[in-house]
Amino acid sequence: MKIQGHKILFLIALLTFITGYSQVKISGKVTFRNKGVGEVNVTLKNTYDGTTTDAEGNFSFETSEKGSHILTFTHPKYEETEKAIVIDNQNVSFNAELKEQISEIDAIVVSAGSIEASDKKRATALLTPIDIYTIAGADGQISSALNYLPGVQKVGETGGLFIRGGTASESRIFMDGSLINNYFSNSIPGIAGRDQFNTSLFKGNVFSSGGYSALYGQALSGVLMLESVDLPDQSSYDFGISPIFVSAGFQKLGKDQQHSYGASFSYSLLSLMQKVFNFNTDFIDAPKGLDGNFNFRIKTKSGGILKYYGMYTSNKMGVKSESLEPGYDFSLVRLKGQNTYHNLSFRQKFGKYLLNVGTSYSFNSSDLNFSTETNEVESGRTTLLTDGNYINFKAVADRKINRISAVRAGFELNNTDEKLNFEAIRKNYKDLISSVFAETDLGFSNALSAKIGVRAEHSSFLNKNNIAPRFALAYRLADRWTTSLAYGLFYQNPESKYINGPADLGFQKSQHYVFQLQRGTEGRTLRLEAFYKKYDQLIKTFNITQGNSQNQQTQSALNNDGYGYAKGIELFWRDNNKTFKNIDYWITYSFLDSKRDFLNYPVSLKPGFAAEHTFSAVVKRFIPEWKLGANLSYTYAKGRPYYDIVSSFEDGRAVNYTRNEGRLKDYNALNVSFNYIPSIGKKDAKAFTVFVLSISNVLGAKNVYGYNFSVDGARSSAVVPPVNTFVFVGAFISFGVDKTQDAINNNL
Amino acid sequence: MKKYLLSFAFAFMSLTAFAQTDYEKVMTEKIAKIETCRTAEDFQALANDFIRINAKETKEWLPGYYAAFAYIQKGRVLMRDGKLKELDNAALEAEKYLAGATGVLRGDNAETHLLRKMAYSLRMMVNPQQRYKTAGAIAEAEMKAAEKLDPENPRIALIKAEDVYFTPKQYGGSKAKGVTMFKEALAKFNAYTPKSALDPNWGKAEAEYFISQPVK
Repeated sequence: MKIQGHKILFLIALLTFITGYSQVKISGKVTFRNKGVGEVNVTLKNTYDGTTTDAEGNFSFETSEKGSHILTFTHPKYEETEKAIVIDNQNVSFNAELKEQISEIDAIVVSAGSIEASDKKRATALLTPIDIYTIAGADGQISSALNYLPGVQKVGETGGLFIRGGTASESRIFMDGSLINNYFSNSIPGIAGRDQFNTSLFKGNVFSSGGYSALYGQALSGVLMLESVDLPDQSSYDFGISPIFVSAGFQKLGKDQQHSYGASFSYSLLSLMQKVFNFNTDFIDAPKGLDGNFNFRIKTKSGGILKYYGMYTSNKMGVKSESLEPGYDFSLVRLKGQNTYHNLSFRQKFGKYLLNVGTSYSFNSSDLNFSTETNEVESGRTTLLTDGNYINFKAVADRKINRISAVRAGFELNNTDEKLNFEAIRKNYKDLISSVFAETDLGFSNALSAKIGVRAEHSSFLNKNNIAPRFALAYRLADRWTTSLAYGLFYQNPESKYINGPADLGFQKSQHYVFQLQRGTEGRTLRLEAFYKKYDQLIKTFNITQGNSQNQQTQSALNNDGYGYAKGIELFWRDNNKTFKNIDYWITYSFLDSKRDFLNYPVSLKPGFAAEHTFSAVVKRFIPEWKLGANLSYTYAKGRPYYDIVSSFEDGRAVNYTRNEGRLKDYNALNVSFNYIPSIGKKDAKAFTVFVLSISNVLGAKNVYGYNFSVDGARSSAVVPPVNTFVFVGAFISFGVDKTQDAINNNL
Repeated sequence: MKKYLLSFAFAFMSLTAFAQTDYEKVMTEKIAKIETCRTAEDFQALANDFIRINAKETKEWLPGYYAAFAYIQKGRVLMRDGKLKELDNAALEAEKYLAGATGVLRGDNAETHLLRKMAYSLRMMVNPQQRYKTAGAIAEAEMKAAEKLDPENPRIALIKAEDVYFTPKQYGGSKAKGVTMFKEALAKFNAYTPKSALDPNWGKAEAEYFISQPVK
């Protein structure tokens, strides 16, 4: 019995031993919407046992655990799921259905009408500062670079963004949320002003060619939102030199890495190039400019940032052209321009709220002198002096509701005070536009989201209010295909330059319908947009009888009886280093059909700033062996119509009629540029130097931007670019604690 | 009966007395798998294995370290396949588990600094033009910190050699120079003894592989 007892004991021990170590198989399938999900981490909680699902979502593993357990399923893109199971001696098999993890990274964002360029949104990243500097023909200017995106019309005689059949004044540019009233420099009629803001001042931009957010207003066409850089990565000194300018600047980063300040200064003078090139424009005073700016940026202890940017520019030029009027040989225009702009912005998180406050002040003065010359004797000058003072303030509070939904609301104040002096005329235009707005981002799933907004404005000058709803929807059709729809109402005050007499005026209005289809893969973007815009309450004007010394007509607004439409299709394709190594290229095509009856148009006409077909191509090739970037760009635009419209007075009423009209020849320009960066690869290089050579309009196409007509309409002269082909050479040197090279060497 | 008892005792002993702890056993098994992983999926599965161990062994830093390492290796495979958009996610996951590991360690050591360096290098590769000054600079700083803590670490020498090997000539890199550095790294590997059987000991095979490659 004793032995027997031992035997039994042993048997029991052996049995428990065997069963204890016997393995049970746990298997099944993990799905999301009936599709298997791979790479899911399947874990028997608090044990080492588990596995990873295969591409079809199947899993299987063995365990020696027994009893009640919890099985967890984890994957970064799905919510963690738990299942209670009981393990005895039988194999366990069951399936699990996952729930989508709503996340900012995967969620679709409304993109109809807008193109965003920043590091965050690389899928659609376009026109970062480096992109802009390496577009041939863009002269390193943001606004010129946008000409190579769909929807922007090439209008050479005026500065500004002509978006989808809108005038330059119908688009607005913002810096950190605050309006920039004078983004372009003062100029003489017929010569486009230049960007007054340096491209490298901004780390990213969002360009909306329609259907934009309720946070912005007073633009019938579109908006460009520029986001200024935060703290620099290091202290540095920069110099630039070329036959047409010199510049110097510095950025100092505080030792605590929490604040920085910097300043820069530049001087430009075109006279040297006038000796080398055959200019179309006869500059009696060569264009020259002086520019200084200062900035500081402070990070607060609680993670907020305060930024200031201030600048002052002054420029001068004088142009002489053959007079169209009998009895005069030449007409002369001289300009003295001055501009100062100050922007202060503050961004900080307060609990669940993100607060953005920005204010800007600008003063702009344009002093134009007109005279004539007969038998080498200059007449007395008449002066057109325009001074503008602008103050803007904007505050936006943003609150997240869940991971992909948010509400934001705020208000904006834009105060304008403009004075115009011309001979006996004294005009003072004052307006305060007060706006409130609210907007919500509603994320329904990673594949569906909506943006609903509303904006209300009051103009003290018009003494009228408006309410503008905005709506957009985005849906992911498939992994790479997304589609968006946008609708919005947009209001804008009549331009103050047309307010030259008493008239009962109201807001001008446009309605946008934008549809977008986009395919985005690594390095490649395909975008198709179709839009329809309807204009109402555009202002109608008549011509105030012009003096014979000016070749600019002055118009005065009568009423808001104007109307019009614009519709079109745009195509954009970019392939960044994907198909061809070291080659980034993109092509765009825009079709635009637009007609308007506005300003002094006698009937509904195709506007003079709208080309039906615009095609552009940009190619950039970097040749590492030669440390050289070679860039090419081409633009074609079908000839725009031009009109010579005059007013006659019948029974005291102004009647406009077209005296001359026609179509310009097609616009063509092929540009090339090269950047040579010798310091690439030199490990201890103290200076980072870039040499630039750019040739715009290499083929020397003789482009025409429009025509000027004499007072009687019998004679005309073409408005042409100041020079057909221009060559720019320059060197940009940056000294500093430059970590560029180390970083490249260690990581490529 | 004595015989029975004896055999029972032996059987028991062979299973327990000589055996490592369960933790050591499972870690040894998974660490051995590093060498057999080839695809991004392989490394994800391996990362998941370490994450599972990490969830249970909250007082150990190595499971988190290896989970991060598996994610980084996954990222490097993705980079070779040109799937640059996915690198941020791989780096993010790696950083998450590194943070856990350093939490246990109460600070970084040379090995975690090195993994951080590798994670930031991955981030930089998403968009080198824009990120060399941000992610690239952090990667460099992490590398320096690792070197300061453990100058004789062969893995630091290995990653430095790799950076030079893959950098184009015009940026100051060279395959020949890289191979020389791999040889130096290999010498360091030969002189190196890991702190324990489970502590980081990867990279020697890689150095040998690059040395065996013909230099053009």
